[in-house]
Amino acid sequence: MDPVITDTSKLFFKVNPSLKLICFAFLFILYLSVQNLNTMIWTTVAFSIVTLWANGLPRKWSVGFFLMTFIVSFFSASAMILYGKGSHVLFQWFLIRTTEESLARGIQLGLRTFVFGLLGVLFASTTPPVPFFYSLMQQLKVPVRYAYGCLAAFRMLPMMAEELGHIRQAMKVRGMSRQKGLRAFYERFLHYALGILVQSIRRAQRTAVAMEAKRFSMKEKRTFYYQIGWSRKDLIFLSVMTVTVVSGFLLSRWIPLTPYTNVIDGY
Amino acid sequence: MAEQKIGKLNLTDILVTIVASLVFGLIFRLMGPVYDLLKPFGLQLEMLTYGIWFIAGPFVALLIRKPGVAFLAETAAAAVELLFAGSGGIINVYYGLIQGVFSEAVFAAFLYKRFTLLTAILSGVAASIGSFILDIPYGYLTGLVGWNLTLNIVFRFISAIILAGFLPYILVKALEKTGVTQLVRPVTKEDYDVLKK
Repeated sequence: MDPVITDTSKLFFKVNPSLKLICFAFLFILYLSVQNLNTMIWTTVAFSIVTLWANGLPRKWSVGFFLMTFIVSFFSASAMILYGKGSHVLFQWFLIRTTEESLARGIQLGLRTFVFGLLGVLFASTTPPVPFFYSLMQQLKVPVRYAYGCLAAFRMLPMMAEELGHIRQAMKVRGMSRQKGLRAFYERFLHYALGILVQSIRRAQRTAVAMEAKRFSMKEKRTFYYQIGWSRKDLIFLSVMTVTVVSGFLLSRWIPLTPYTNVIDGY
Repeated sequence: MAEQKIGKLNLTDILVTIVASLVFGLIFRLMGPVYDLLKPFGLQLEMLTYGIWFIAGPFVALLIRKPGVAFLAETAAAAVELLFAGSGGIINVYYGLIQGVFSEAVFAAFLYKRFTLLTAILSGVAASIGSFILDIPYGYLTGLVGWNLTLNIVFRFISAIILAGFLPYILVKALEKTGVTQLVRPVTKEDYDVLKK
């Protein structure tokens, strides 16, 4: 992911990764219980602003990501919009039966997926793996074995990519990549999958033995190379999140855009 | 490691599980756009690929054959998907957790003694039941018209059986031939019997 991130001076990079994770995980529960379409619309507006301002992607990428997330979110709402239950029919053609209720529910679903997608982009683009796992160990007390295991695994990614290249070249030389048909595709898939998996498992086992020998799985009091702590940035982060969430709820009360305050009514 | 209790995970188990999850997490990430592109028209076609998201649990359980690895694998794969900005974002972690629990429960129900095609299929199906539990509040699943909901359920179970039942079984069988599974599996009674001869 490193080449994607250019500007690491942004505020969200400095926020404690565990705090970010817990905060976003809480937002999931919160918005799962929101059935008011107006709240969701205003929340989407608020989070769009925050994401466009705070994400860690280069500018030309961030707008693209934003639009893509938006379109994809409404793909997931298509089934609900076209075939949802409801009594006030807006449009009917063959199997398609769009009703007011299903449209409202679909939009709610689409916006919710969009907000979670934005949070995902916001998290992934501002959280490099190394501080994330160090923070998990120090703040959330995740057992060291698991966190270092993850870190070691991430180190193996470039090697996996290289091996993938080797397998591709080997297949090219042997003419496998030119074969057509379902059987050839299956064989190719199996060769890629097995090659990568076998080498990864062997490497993981070797690495684990070495790590064990160096007491990486030690449970007693231990020190960390990177100390992830708390700072004023965390307070700013929390305030930004609180303002965003609260503004979504307040604006929906002050300026309700639709009459749908409970989308699960009507089925 | 003689003093190690049977069933407890050591660093090798954890690292192998996580590395396999990393591979699957990347596959999840790459399959994300395919899944999303099957979504328009609302015909639930994307459900035919859903099974691939349940593969990590059964695969690693069949591979390592120890308690807890199916749950760890499914959760780790979901976390990897989050770190690589998969299309679901933070939702993936919740789905990963619940699918992991259900996937693990099947192997636990067999007391971690049976790692066959049957348990792999059951584990995949259990994971899809787990995903339904989250889909009802999150995706308003019960708000769909009957035939569409049926299509969703049937497609998801079919893909769970094929992609999270048969596929991991085939992969692990092939891995057994390479001998790599001997590195990671716990020693069984049969292994001792071979020594006695």
